[in-house]
Amino acid sequence: MKLIKAIVRPNMVDNIKEALGKMNIAGMTVTEVRGHGRQKGHTAVYRGREYEVSLLPKMEIEVVVPDSSVDEAIKAIIGAARTGEIGDGRVFVMPVEQGYNIRTGEKDV
Amino acid sequence: MGPVNGKDVDQAGLRLRLSASLDAARSELIDATERGEGGRLALALHSECIDGIVRGLVDTARVQTGAALAVCAVGGYGRRSQFLHSDIDLLVVFDRAIGRPEERFIKALLHPLWDLKFQVGHHVREIADFDAIDTSNPEYLLSLMDLRPLAGDREMVDRLERAIASSAPQWRPQILDALVTLTDERHSEFHDTLYQLEPDVKDGPGALRDVWATRMMLHLGGERRHAPRPASPDRLNDAEEFLMRIRSGLHLDAGRNANVLSYELQEKAAERLRYTGPDVRRRVEALMTDYFKDARSVTRALGRVRRVAVPPPPTSIRLIGQNLMWVVEGITFADVTAAAAAPAEWMRAFEAAVSRNVPVADDALALIEREQQVHNHAPEAFHPTDEHRQRIVQFLRPRPGLSARLSEMRDCGLLGAIFPELNEISCRVTRDFYHKYTVDEHTLLTVRNVERLLVNPRFGPVLRELRAPEMLVLSLLYHDVGKARDGDHSIVGAEMATGMMSRLGLDEDARQTIDFLIRAHLKMSRIAFRRDTEEPEVVRQFASLFSTEEHLKMLVLLTLADVGAVSPDTLTPWKEELLWRLYVDAYNQMTLGYGDDIIDREQALVAALQASRPADISETEMASFLEGLPRRYLILFSPEAIYGHVRLSRDIRPDEAHFVLQKKAEAWELTVVSLDKPFLFSNICGVLAYFGMDILRGHALTSLAGTALDVFEFADSDQFFELNSEGRKEFDRRLHEVINGQADVTSLLKSKERSVLFRRALVPRTPVVYFDNGHSQRYTVLEIVAEDAPGLLYRVSRAISDHGIDVDLVLISTEGQKAIDVFHITRGGAKLLEDAEAALKADLERMLKESA
Repeated sequence: MKLIKAIVRPNMVDNIKEALGKMNIAGMTVTEVRGHGRQKGHTAVYRGREYEVSLLPKMEIEVVVPDSSVDEAIKAIIGAARTGEIGDGRVFVMPVEQGYNIRTGEKDV
Repeated sequence: MGPVNGKDVDQAGLRLRLSASLDAARSELIDATERGEGGRLALALHSECIDGIVRGLVDTARVQTGAALAVCAVGGYGRRSQFLHSDIDLLVVFDRAIGRPEERFIKALLHPLWDLKFQVGHHVREIADFDAIDTSNPEYLLSLMDLRPLAGDREMVDRLERAIASSAPQWRPQILDALVTLTDERHSEFHDTLYQLEPDVKDGPGALRDVWATRMMLHLGGERRHAPRPASPDRLNDAEEFLMRIRSGLHLDAGRNANVLSYELQEKAAERLRYTGPDVRRRVEALMTDYFKDARSVTRALGRVRRVAVPPPPTSIRLIGQNLMWVVEGITFADVTAAAAAPAEWMRAFEAAVSRNVPVADDALALIEREQQVHNHAPEAFHPTDEHRQRIVQFLRPRPGLSARLSEMRDCGLLGAIFPELNEISCRVTRDFYHKYTVDEHTLLTVRNVERLLVNPRFGPVLRELRAPEMLVLSLLYHDVGKARDGDHSIVGAEMATGMMSRLGLDEDARQTIDFLIRAHLKMSRIAFRRDTEEPEVVRQFASLFSTEEHLKMLVLLTLADVGAVSPDTLTPWKEELLWRLYVDAYNQMTLGYGDDIIDREQALVAALQASRPADISETEMASFLEGLPRRYLILFSPEAIYGHVRLSRDIRPDEAHFVLQKKAEAWELTVVSLDKPFLFSNICGVLAYFGMDILRGHALTSLAGTALDVFEFADSDQFFELNSEGRKEFDRRLHEVINGQADVTSLLKSKERSVLFRRALVPRTPVVYFDNGHSQRYTVLEIVAEDAPGLLYRVSRAISDHGIDVDLVLISTEGQKAIDVFHITRGGAKLLEDAEAALKADLERMLKESA
């Protein structure tokens, strides 16, 4: 199993959810986050006074998928989240050793 | 397996008998609960059965110790309110130091109870402990107040009761304060509202623990004041019975000590308590409506007793106006008979209360509730005159305590009497994953959130800048009323608000504002949270929703208040940031970036204007006038105003100005059409300054054909027009003279500037002079934020013109003592170069500092 963590534009979450849904990946965790990558925020001006927007609002999506589905899931996320402009986000993949269902106590296969 | 002896057989037999006895008692309680009768009587019977079990075990365990002892029920069990899966709390007191025999007694008592699956809370004390009771544990002391002897030696029980009774006067005040604190802490866990969609019927505000707290405060506080008032015992008893029946059902359905009336269990409770209705939803709504009414009764009783038991610092009774007194409990009526007969004056109590941030006293609320129930006054009875109507609207200005007063009005029925549309959302349940409160409570929480925004570092200034913040509150009161009916609730709500707007006699501006805000109340959150707001087109489209910056400000504040009232966790700093950024981008689009967006002949608004144009305006004349004006012009002005501008522009010649001056509510509006030329804008501003007019807001627009349209809204603070019968003629003459060059406005103003009347005390504020060359392709945008001062706009515009710079578009606004002016400027038809900007900036900053 792998944990896929994607940092994406907030408005792209529904697209990603739909794309993963088509792969029958229904479970996911979505978290509001703020940060920056190469797109290091910018300076905005309100009434002539500048204010720093250094950390940009993003959404973090976490899904755990079987090893066999990782590539397809990554493609689905990138396809759904991509605009081609700076700030589209990042996808990270991490190994998952074990997973358990809290209600039943069963171990994920 | 070990040998079995006679003692074990006796013990096993005892346990079997106790278990059978307990099973029988539980069966009775379950049957009663299934019948919807799991209330006081059933719980008392259940408690009595457990009493029998405890007594039997005490008898058996007595062989372990020779000490005299007493075993008592405390807490809920002491009150005979033993639910199916509640803990039982016992107090065991010995007449001597606790040794091995007494420990064996405790084991012999508790182990069988645990075997019977009881959760047992127990305190073990020596009687000597009660000579000097440990007051560091208020919860223990409170539990003693419900002490009920079950078994033991009569003499020990008497000693215990005497010991508690004799020491109680010393610690009662202490535990009363502790009870108040514990109650407040418990309520804060529920965000201080009883209107939870899935309420906790034990610990939630208005739930069973509050019934007990009410009685306990009444009991404990009796010695603090003479003649404490009763807490509506019948209603409290009725509410308790209802809550007990629900809680019994929850224990039965969950199979454990569960007290949250979840959506799923609401359906079961409605069925069990025999609610009728065409479908499950209606039956559940009926149940929950009763629940909230009872919880409200409990909350009010608790509040009343609390104020009596823990009175605020002594306050002398003060008469504070027409038939109103300020007493310890808050604002009340001096002459009850007169108040009962004058419903139109009831609002005065709330006005007085909100202005002092104190409550309206219970007796005043009770009078209003009683009289309204008897007479069922129509809304008009509360605002028979314009003055009354204006007072109601003004009452809604956001201030600390407003939402608390509105809650009092809701609870006594006055809010629904004045605004009957709100009755439709009373205790209304919205079932989704997000909402945590009933619709009416959500609505009042939005008002509370607006109060909190007053001190928000980012949004507080935006709120304080609003010209009519009471319209924001009025919009919030109605933003969700549409949820009571079928259809899109934003549209339905706007339609429902029209009746209110007519009754209150609101002017057209106010009506448009409220209608817009209700209809658009979901739009900003949808765009901020679901769309890519870094996309300029998204921001442009969003900004095009608004006719004025005031509407944008109101919508962002409404959105914050609305999202924040869904549940305590819904408005995260993340979402607040998104809303702020969208607000700033839209504000900048509206003020800095609108100049390039020119009216398109083909656009729908132009077609509509052409289609409904009056006979005296030709299609060509209309099209020619609009050519080159920014799109925003079509949103800023009504079709009637635009047709008026077209007429004003007819046959205009150089050095001429066609203008019209109109009184609009408290302010005046001056509309000037002329052919654009240098110093035109500053000359008009100069004339207004010469007559002492305060420019509140305005727009200056220039078409491609060179027609300049300037619209100023100003206040005649010195009442020049009112006090001088020839004042308007004089104004017209001066304006003509200045525009056609016959008079020099600078000379006119010199004498004025030397007048002491012209000077005002100002709070120094560092002015902001900011140039933006990014938002517009055609213009350099100059934004000035400075302390407002007489003639300020004239001096600023004059300085700009002195630099040979053309002023093409201007937005003027004043927010309190702050003037915010945005100029779209060019020199020689192009944006300003850096050196020109620097020179102008230096001059402006010097001039603004001198002004301050």
